[in-house]
Amino acid sequence: MYSMKNAYLCPAIIRNTLMLEIKNLHATVGGKEILKGIDLTVRPGEIHALMGQNGAGKSTLSNVLVGHPAYTVTEGTVTFNGKDLLSMTPDERSHEGLFLSFQQPVEIPGVSMVNFMRAALNAKRKYQGLEPLDAGAFLKLMRERRKIVGLDNKLTSRSVNEGFSGGEKKRNEIFQMAMLEPTLAILDETDSGLDVDALRIVAEGFNKLRTPETSAIVITHYQRLLDYLKPDVVHVLIGGRIVRTGGPELAMEIERRGFDWIKEEL
Amino acid sequence: MNQYLELFHEQRALIDAPSPAFMNACRDDAAAAFQRMGFPSRKVERYRYTDVEAAFAPNYGVNLRPSAVADVPEGIARLYATLADVRTDAITALNTMLAQELLVVHVPAGVHKENPVQVTHTLRATAPLMQNRRLLIVAEAGAHVQVLLDSRAETGQEFLTTQVTEVFVGEGAHVEIYDIENTHERCHRFHQLYAQVAAAGHLSHTAFTLASGLSRNQTEVTLVGEGGEVNLYGCAITDGHQHVDNNTLIDHRAAACRSRELYKYVVDQQSTAAFAGRVLVRQEAVQTDSVERNANLVCTNEARMWTQPMLEIYADDVQCSHGSTVGQLNADALFYMRQRGISEADARMLLKQAFASEVIDALPLEALRPRLHALVEKRFRNCEDCRLCRK
Repeated sequence: MYSMKNAYLCPAIIRNTLMLEIKNLHATVGGKEILKGIDLTVRPGEIHALMGQNGAGKSTLSNVLVGHPAYTVTEGTVTFNGKDLLSMTPDERSHEGLFLSFQQPVEIPGVSMVNFMRAALNAKRKYQGLEPLDAGAFLKLMRERRKIVGLDNKLTSRSVNEGFSGGEKKRNEIFQMAMLEPTLAILDETDSGLDVDALRIVAEGFNKLRTPETSAIVITHYQRLLDYLKPDVVHVLIGGRIVRTGGPELAMEIERRGFDWIKEEL
Repeated sequence: MNQYLELFHEQRALIDAPSPAFMNACRDDAAAAFQRMGFPSRKVERYRYTDVEAAFAPNYGVNLRPSAVADVPEGIARLYATLADVRTDAITALNTMLAQELLVVHVPAGVHKENPVQVTHTLRATAPLMQNRRLLIVAEAGAHVQVLLDSRAETGQEFLTTQVTEVFVGEGAHVEIYDIENTHERCHRFHQLYAQVAAAGHLSHTAFTLASGLSRNQTEVTLVGEGGEVNLYGCAITDGHQHVDNNTLIDHRAAACRSRELYKYVVDQQSTAAFAGRVLVRQEAVQTDSVERNANLVCTNEARMWTQPMLEIYADDVQCSHGSTVGQLNADALFYMRQRGISEADARMLLKQAFASEVIDALPLEALRPRLHALVEKRFRNCEDCRLCRK
């Protein structure tokens, strides 16, 4: 918490102190309750790691946050930059600065990366009251951002994710993030299926894009991604609830001891 | 049906007046056949998906052409109404009975037309109008020609068009036909295309329905010489109360011929559409290589698509396959796009465009592709922006 003195000196910080505030969030999928009361607060600039075994509700939480239609919120609130996130459509959430790096990015044959990115970027600009980018400026931006994640020119001239390797798909997610400049990125197992070199490139790309205002929720099973991203806060999700919150040392302990000791302590 | 026979009998002299003798010579047989068959009901297999009688029921005016059409060389005239059999098809009979003008595309042996021949049909009228169009495309041995058929409407009237196209692809000749229909929901069209491909000849035909009210395209290709090749492409975009019915027959009568079919439909709102593709491999057509594919995107619960691929094989030693799919827009892809900020309407549009693109990108006339991509995008954009998109 900031002292009143600091708050007076830094009005911007107090205004943005809470970027994301999740309160008592319950959600179901196919009639089955997966999230059973999540409370989570993310401030600007923070990186939160979300860990937990398969089926704990990590991906459900990320899907609920971005408004996937298969998930139903039954209770609780989510405030994003002071606005009611749950009442927004998925595209509005995106325009407001929320980005999900998908665990399994979707292949869209016939839709070129260029058309896809242009539609996405210009939709956001329209939302912000800006003119669409002209073709030259857009392609220049593509080129610049492509380099950050080392994405091959050949890939951006193809259909979205079509024929991409697992690593290329994940890299493409970070490229899209670079294009859209979200304020809160959710990385859902971005490390899965990546070899050590690809993991480093993706993580370094992500770090290059960070600003003091951008935050992230990083869902992962492993420590190795966190070695690069250096989370401020680590949460453990078990049975649809956050059962433990700590610093980076908690992630290391999980890496060493697994989750069972936490369950036993509950 | 009677109104058309009456028109024919009462105005016979006017109908005959401008036309060459070889066209007039076919009219009596055509009228008799038409009278005998009447409009095909849904019990006639090939017409089961389209209500023909309803389309011909309204009272349409017919403009009879007073002045004479130019002469056609004897060698070409001889071919008229030889592929288009008036005895077996009522609409072909009706067209043969009433058509006054004949458009001939004749490419002599060995001539390569460098630029496509573009034929634009424009409908323009102040009252409901019926038109009977007739085309004869003759590519002699080794000739090479691309024909672009554009159908448009300049006024919002009810229109009814019958069209019969006969195509002769000579030995080693190469013919590409692109039939692009971009009219409106009050236009009804019946297009019967009959083609014959001689040895080592190549025909590719595209039926692209961007917009219309009712379109029925019946395409019959007979491979009569060894090593002939035919590619049929089709794409239909339907919404509102549109109806599109593509009916194809590829008749393999000679050995070692190759046929390919790719038809894709995007069927939206309450529109209905059908594809029936029959590939007939006769006993003598050994070493036939045939692939038929029809894929359809049905966008609403009210839209209907009928698909009927048919493969009839009487020969040994052939390689044939056919496949057909009917599906909806990919929900995962839709959500992925929306997460990136693309609105639902735009995401749906991009996916539909992508679906149709496969046909466009397969077309041999590369110069046509950007134009078709643009037309398809325009078509979908109109659709999403105005009355048509409900979400």
